[in-house]
Amino acid sequence: MKIKKNTSTMIFNIITYVMLTFGAIVCVFPFIIIVSGSLTNNTTILTQGYSVLPRDITLSAYRTIFNAPKDILQAYKMTFYYTIVGTAIGLMMITLTGYVISRREFKYRNTVSFLIYFTSIFGGGMIPWYLMYANVLNMKGSTFAIWFPALMSPFLIILMRTFIVGSVPEAITESAKIDGAGHLTIFFKIVMPVLKPGLATVGLFLALGYWNDWYRSSMFSTSSKTWELQFYLYDLLNATTALKQMAQSTSISTAELPTQSVKLAMAVVATGPVILFYPFVQKFFVSGITVGAVKG
Amino acid sequence: MKEKIKGLSRGNQFLNKELANRKTGVFLTAAVSVVAIILSLPFFSWISIVNIPALFSKLSITREMAENLFQGYSLFNLLSFVQESKQGSLGLYAMILLILMAAALYFNVAYALKIAFNLKGNKGNLGLYATGQTAMLFEMIATAATAGFVIFANYKFGMTGMQASPVVYILFLLSLLSFAAIKLLEAEERALYKEHGLFREIQKNWVLFLMLVPTFIYFMINNYLPMLGVYYAFTSFNFRDGLWASPFIGFKNFDFLVKADLFRLTKNTILYNVVFIGLGNALQIVFAIFVSQVTVKWFKKASQTLMFMPYFVSFVILKVLVYNIFEYQYGLINNIITSAGGGKIDFYNTPSYWPVLITLFYLWKNIGYGMVVYLATIMGIDSEYYEAAKVDGANIFQQIWYITLPLVKPTFIILLLYALGSIMKGQFELFYQMIGNNGTLYNVTDIFDTYVYRITMTQPLSIGLGTAAGLYQSVFGFAIVILTNFLVKRKNPEYALF
Repeated sequence: MKIKKNTSTMIFNIITYVMLTFGAIVCVFPFIIIVSGSLTNNTTILTQGYSVLPRDITLSAYRTIFNAPKDILQAYKMTFYYTIVGTAIGLMMITLTGYVISRREFKYRNTVSFLIYFTSIFGGGMIPWYLMYANVLNMKGSTFAIWFPALMSPFLIILMRTFIVGSVPEAITESAKIDGAGHLTIFFKIVMPVLKPGLATVGLFLALGYWNDWYRSSMFSTSSKTWELQFYLYDLLNATTALKQMAQSTSISTAELPTQSVKLAMAVVATGPVILFYPFVQKFFVSGITVGAVKG
Repeated sequence: MKEKIKGLSRGNQFLNKELANRKTGVFLTAAVSVVAIILSLPFFSWISIVNIPALFSKLSITREMAENLFQGYSLFNLLSFVQESKQGSLGLYAMILLILMAAALYFNVAYALKIAFNLKGNKGNLGLYATGQTAMLFEMIATAATAGFVIFANYKFGMTGMQASPVVYILFLLSLLSFAAIKLLEAEERALYKEHGLFREIQKNWVLFLMLVPTFIYFMINNYLPMLGVYYAFTSFNFRDGLWASPFIGFKNFDFLVKADLFRLTKNTILYNVVFIGLGNALQIVFAIFVSQVTVKWFKKASQTLMFMPYFVSFVILKVLVYNIFEYQYGLINNIITSAGGGKIDFYNTPSYWPVLITLFYLWKNIGYGMVVYLATIMGIDSEYYEAAKVDGANIFQQIWYITLPLVKPTFIILLLYALGSIMKGQFELFYQMIGNNGTLYNVTDIFDTYVYRITMTQPLSIGLGTAAGLYQSVFGFAIVILTNFLVKRKNPEYALF
């Protein structure tokens, strides 16, 4: 009996370790290809194709990027700008909203919650949304149209409300109210200080969204000055494909095109900060997802 | 002033007089509701067409076209006339009228039914009065707007071509009076339950309202005001007339959509999502169980961290990956194939590979996220269950089958319901970055979101069609949410979405 139990546990353990190792490799493998491609000599890629490990290691791709860094620095600067402005304003608005809809004495909290939730189950669609910013507000080409639409989301507001309800006991705010504290005092002096994990989590979700966005630049940017980093990368990839096709049909020299390894190096540079911070911020995302999932 | 108060209180007394155990005012206002419902029926025309020969020649309506037209219109068939008049902005106005009318009708029916069956909420008649007031308010707005429509239309025609029938004015007056009557009735009831209205509430908690102002502005601009734009779905856009004045064409965009792309788009969007939900959840649960069973600490942490990583990179990076692996000339796979002596595969021109590839990369990006959710549930399971099972001699597979899986089920159901709610929403970024503008693959990879995006970016003249596709997607998705929620609520209210 005992032996049988141990056999099944052992079989299971073997499966577990094999599957998890496999899963982890599959998840990381593509990143390795990118990094090693960016370190490989471009002619080697052209003659032998991509490979898992770098061959003929060279930093020339990175050197090419940082020799003429004007465009990429501009994209970096704009992305930082969008991320900081959007996250700061969005976080403030989300926290205020979360606070209001968590107050018992606010009679319309359910109505407001529903109106916020409703936006996630019904909408006018992409075109009316686009025309709202582009034609009605006439914001095409502005930076406003890029950071404003992503300020809040129903998911983050509900998540914030859950954090507030979980970390600020009703009794504390009640006694503060009896002592004569107004809503502003309660919000800034009592709620905000104990809400740090919630603020970090929601803030990081917002920041990640801003950093990885390319979509709003593709819709609203009219010049490359306002491009987001990811859109800059996207444009680089697409421009190369288009130019390559043109070059084939008209036989222009392709020497001027960004080479394969340069594109990969660009991808590394554009993702860099996310992967760099990832080990440290991961736990906030885990807590956010867990809290959000439990309360739904 | 005193006279007025006296008059009011006399009116109040009359309204509050008991009649068959109910208040007189309730009966009177219910009667108004019933009258409003009857007069809203399509037999009563609210707007009549006058000066027909002059008007038709002005709008260049031919004799054959005129045979389909009537002399009088209710708000329900008004759009059919507007369609012939070729005045775009009238279409928008008539559409708003239709919505107002529907709302008024809905609330009037609700009010009448509530009175007929003597339904009471937990705060007595307050709920009833709220319904009544809403009904009367919508009736007032609908009738006033109808009168406004006639003036606006005549201004547009440049002549008197329409007339509002007396029904409109009578209904306006009646609903105004009953609105006031219900207000009076409500005041009495409010005092009873110590309730007060929005105005007092704002006075009391103005700080809270102030805190919501930015959020209100945001959702207005980003979500609610664009909903008005669904009107474009019923127009044929041209640059001369602009967005709001382009000709109103009714459901022609939808007709075209049904004939051309609707079935394919619906099928693709739903099928992909079904596969994503099914495979995604299954793998997430399996891997969460694996991770939960690992006892070596660093391995547990490392595997979880690494599998969560793809969630953090942008879809543009995903595009780079896919391209590097599947590209024809230098791609990794073709590289391996050629070095093994095989012939190259042209992935980017072969549609049949892509459903599998898209699914694989969806899983790649999302396994870590869902795994975190399930892992939290599994970690929350009381270890006593497992101890007891071990004592009874259950092996690890039995423990998982009889303890872990049943206890994970609630989380699975919640996630499933959420996913069902957005089954009509495609994974736009995934599809667009993987496929881009590669027309050869559209047949198996085009979903609503990519279809509409293409129209937005490249075909400004088709925005009516694009909006129609988006509207269909929204309404269909919304219907699925409501239906799911209704069924779940009946079966097990705990899982209801709202």
